[in-house]
Amino acid sequence: MSAHSDHGHSEQKTVFLGEEKLKTDLLTVNMGPQHPATHGVLRVEIKTDSEIVAEAIPHLGYLHRCMEKHCENLDYRGVIPFTDRMDYLAAMNMEYGYVLAVEKMLKTEVPVRAEYIRTIVCELQRIASHLMFYGTYAIDLGAFSPFLYAFQDREFILRLFEELSGARLLYNYIWIGGVWNDITDEQLQKISKFCDTMDENLKKYHTLVGENKIFVSRTAHVGVIDTKMAFDFGATGPVLRGSGFEWDLRKKRPYGLYSKFDFDVPVGTGEKGVLGDCWDRYSVRMREMHESLKIIRQCLAGIEAGPVMGKVSKIIKLPKGEIFLRTECPRGELGYHIVSDGTKKPYRLKVKSSCFTHVSMLPAVAPGLMIADLVATIGSIDIVLGEVDR
Amino acid sequence: MHSEWVQFINGKVNGANAATGVGEAGDSWIKVEAEKLFEVCEALKNSSHDFNALQVVSGVDYPAEQQIEVNYILASYTNNTELILKVRLPRGDENKLPKVKSVVSLWSGANFQERECYDMLGVHFEGHPDLRRVLCPYDWTGYPLRKDYVVQEKYLDMVVNPAHKMNAEERRFGAEHEYIQGASNSIENYKVDPPPGYKAPAASEESKS
Repeated sequence: MSAHSDHGHSEQKTVFLGEEKLKTDLLTVNMGPQHPATHGVLRVEIKTDSEIVAEAIPHLGYLHRCMEKHCENLDYRGVIPFTDRMDYLAAMNMEYGYVLAVEKMLKTEVPVRAEYIRTIVCELQRIASHLMFYGTYAIDLGAFSPFLYAFQDREFILRLFEELSGARLLYNYIWIGGVWNDITDEQLQKISKFCDTMDENLKKYHTLVGENKIFVSRTAHVGVIDTKMAFDFGATGPVLRGSGFEWDLRKKRPYGLYSKFDFDVPVGTGEKGVLGDCWDRYSVRMREMHESLKIIRQCLAGIEAGPVMGKVSKIIKLPKGEIFLRTECPRGELGYHIVSDGTKKPYRLKVKSSCFTHVSMLPAVAPGLMIADLVATIGSIDIVLGEVDR
Repeated sequence: MHSEWVQFINGKVNGANAATGVGEAGDSWIKVEAEKLFEVCEALKNSSHDFNALQVVSGVDYPAEQQIEVNYILASYTNNTELILKVRLPRGDENKLPKVKSVVSLWSGANFQERECYDMLGVHFEGHPDLRRVLCPYDWTGYPLRKDYVVQEKYLDMVVNPAHKMNAEERRFGAEHEYIQGASNSIENYKVDPPPGYKAPAASEESKS
């Protein structure tokens, strides 16, 4: 059995009488593409030795919509709705990265109020996205009720975005030069109230799941990604921070208004198990929500009256050249590589998606895990297939 | 910063011919010879510049110059730097794909990135452990992000772009047609031709009476 010697299970295996003559073989199991634990249409081909994974091969592309090809035939404003549809759980952050890249090429000045609104919606979106993670991850591991709690609060954010932009998931709200619509004082007060209740709620949620004995034993020591491996694969976001390395683009390469704000970067500590396990990644996300709330409070204190749209010409033509700009999204770093040939359409638009990178780590993490632990690992890296396949 | 890197590359790798470039706006880049790419990456990774992560491999097609450009965007988490490294390859044709040495042995993250570049632009990465398509089906033909790409007509006996599902000219946004000019707004103008071979169901007995 090649798989045995590869992954070192042969020493532990008890050989019963007569079993040495049995013909054993690896069993191939397809997880997905329609499987609730893969969060979308990911297909993982698993070669298993009884319950232990010997090899996991991800097959992608079930949600491939040729976004990059489409963008070559759209003008620069027309691309924004397409970016929404990549990571549909964090559409605001997707728009923000793209818009920042275009604005940097155009050297557009964005009104301060617009920047504040962008920061508020992006951080709210980060909370909504992490709440989604919290709920679905608990479901993956067999707990149903946290999902309902998480969705109550997420619902507030989606309703607020609906008031702001007219849509619940795919907003097209952040535009080149500013934002589409101004935020009202009433809405700001609502957000302020939400921040007050949310801090308490998050603590409650954490006790409900994070300290639960079953949850800890399912996630601690499981799916360990250490710093070396994270660098090797180019992992970013909570996966990298979960491995104990402090790296947040909002701190390290600040964009927008982020250099103004005071917040911490939570990193994994190996509190319940070893550094870089599933529990660390979970814990990083939970603590990140508190930091997002901090940023939102500072925004609410600092926001000032003014216009929300800067001066942008009707037809946007980017100067010749190219740009690669990374922003910190809920799932990791999102990069846009835009190549412009001076016309009103991008010559090439390449999206660096963090989820795509994280899926590519699966074959390296999976060997030796139990199948149920693989589910826990996939859940903890929190992929959205829309962003993986684009 | 870039001039320092260029000096370093030219000093370390013979014949790399590194040179910086920049457009009218945006980021600057470093262009190197394609044959020396692997050595350049190796030198950049194992030095004080410490480019410990490969962010993305992004290919661009330039049919007018008969070239394909591959951008390797490297980043260093320790020095907080970022670098666009470019190589230009002859575009080749379907039988002879453009070739460049794979960097998977330096960064494991290059595995999927190079597969995507192969899938979309048909760049062959020599020495890649598992060079398959990643986003398109494994038996797809053609390289979609090339500028002269024409989609295949049939895939597994299915028509890829059936005429009745494509955007007809008269329904396209901004098309100058009579219903847009306001001559007639009747619903009749929005009718779409039925798919070839489509037969309207015969009216049943009850509806006749």
